[in-house]
Amino acid sequence: MIRINPETKTLICIGTGGVGKTTMAASFAVGLALEGKKILVLTIDPSMRLAQALGLKADGELHRVDLSEVTESKNTKGELWSCVINHQKAFEDFIRNASKNIANEDDINRLLRNKLYQQLSGRLSGSQEFTSLITLYQHVQSGQYDLVILDTPPAQHTWNFLKAPEKIAQLFHEGIANWFRAGDQSSSLIKKLVNIGTTQVLKALELLTGSEFIKELSMFFKAIQNWQQPLEAYVLNCHRLLISQQTEFVLVTGLDPSRLKEADKLSKEIRTQGYKLTSLIINRVPGWLSTQNKVEESSLQTTDRLKNIIHYYQSLESELKKSIRSFSSQQKVYKCFEFSQNTENVPQLKKNYNQIVEVI
Amino acid sequence: MVKKAHFVTGKGGVGKSLVAAVLARHFSQKNQQILLAELSEFSFYKDFLNLPEIHYLPTKWTDKVDVSQWSANDCLREYALHLLKIEKLYELFFENPVTRSLVQVAPGLQELAILGKVTSSPRRHGPPMNYDQLVIDAFATGHFLSLLQAPRAMAETIPFGPMGEQSRSIDRYIRDPQFTEVHVVSLCEDLPITETLELYFGLQNNFQIRPRVYLNKLFNLTKNDLASLDTQAQDYLSAEIEAEQRAKITLQKNGIKFIELPLVTSLNTETILTTLLPQMQGVE
Repeated sequence: MIRINPETKTLICIGTGGVGKTTMAASFAVGLALEGKKILVLTIDPSMRLAQALGLKADGELHRVDLSEVTESKNTKGELWSCVINHQKAFEDFIRNASKNIANEDDINRLLRNKLYQQLSGRLSGSQEFTSLITLYQHVQSGQYDLVILDTPPAQHTWNFLKAPEKIAQLFHEGIANWFRAGDQSSSLIKKLVNIGTTQVLKALELLTGSEFIKELSMFFKAIQNWQQPLEAYVLNCHRLLISQQTEFVLVTGLDPSRLKEADKLSKEIRTQGYKLTSLIINRVPGWLSTQNKVEESSLQTTDRLKNIIHYYQSLESELKKSIRSFSSQQKVYKCFEFSQNTENVPQLKKNYNQIVEVI
Repeated sequence: MVKKAHFVTGKGGVGKSLVAAVLARHFSQKNQQILLAELSEFSFYKDFLNLPEIHYLPTKWTDKVDVSQWSANDCLREYALHLLKIEKLYELFFENPVTRSLVQVAPGLQELAILGKVTSSPRRHGPPMNYDQLVIDAFATGHFLSLLQAPRAMAETIPFGPMGEQSRSIDRYIRDPQFTEVHVVSLCEDLPITETLELYFGLQNNFQIRPRVYLNKLFNLTKNDLASLDTQAQDYLSAEIEAEQRAKITLQKNGIKFIELPLVTSLNTETILTTLLPQMQGVE
């Protein structure tokens, strides 16, 4: 059985697309709620079945999940809340929160109308990583839950998620912003003249992108003129949350050799960067390949195709045993069995959580 | 000159990279020179094809197929150098920390750079590419759609100047069925199938692209095969068999033709590729 540190306030499921991250996050949520905790699970893009099972709606609101079907005693304190992150709304909330008491309504609206802002907050720039993080931060901050679980966006690479605060912080960094609003202030104009490089670079940028782009950019930076610091501070807090000792990362991967190699690389990198990765879960291990079916293959009265398939999965498992050594000294390695997708419901999620077993 | 660009996409974990490699091999058999380009940050092909290193500049895989890894930054660098001409100015521009972070965050710029590279040969923008066709192991579904939308979105945001002009010309090639071909890989499970349908009609309605669909990792078993297994195995595998049937029916009902790719029960790359190659017959 898998153990989450009792001190942990935030649990983040990471891993490349298609490994069953969302289902894993939901399984943790159901399992830990049944242990008596008040849990919030934040998901990105749940399957229809899972959405139905948890009563999820893509409205960015919090919904309580009905656990009565799987609760053994009536006095269990555990609660499960779920939320599908609405990225547009989260980004706008972030701007409004960070600029509170500094900017007036007009300033905020000017920014929200800026074309660059609109693209930035839209799907284009991969800002989902950032909005997931600020939504997470908000809910952990609220102190309403014993544990908040985040299912990270289906990024090309998990790095995109971990780099999100840094990436966005750069945008709000004063260094960049000063460039674009140098025009109306004589002091910055002097600064500009001193720094010859800047003019050259701006010229190059204009040659590459055209003056329209520069205009939009400077409008964007003028809009956020006075709230650089609070924005930066907010982003910094998000980053602090990621490296906090009360934040635990769980890396989900598959049985495939290339997946395992990738997970190995990733887990080393994550630890080097100072994040607290405690567990690696190899998901969708074929549980149907039980000892019974493993008997000397020739004795199985079956077709060649089935024999080959069984043999293939057996060789995958023995590959896993080989690579497990490089993993297990670093963190605990678990496996979780594949279940038929027709049964994605609360009882199944509970079962799924309970059958996460350590690989020895 | 590059006459065609094949993008391979699909939900994460469905086997895009494998299908892209098989396609590259398939096209090369018609006496064509192929570049197989991967867009991921960490190379998949280095280990899978057992190549020493994979960079932005092509590495030889077979006589007819080279492999490259394209990052947005590399694409942008090449484009900037091509346009700015002056090395000194380019260094000043790119080795400046402020520009570097600006490039990182400017929305859509990375996507635009990649598609700029994909279409650079027919647009005669940038260094020549001596390939007949490109096979691009592209992003997963959602990110792939934003990739294709980037040029038009950029052109609408910044209509004037060189960037607007470039964006429009890239967009024209992406929407040209003579140039752009999309291959969508799917598994039989509900979630990938739903994504495949959405992507298929999304591409058809917004880009007039009719993608080719591949059903990957098929068990190709029948219920009779399962008789000697225990109940748990029987239950699981019958559910798989049903999912495969359901997936095929769903695609057929929606008028979508698809190519069936069996699960290749081998860990050897060459065996996997040669087993799947005959399935590509007829793909142009």
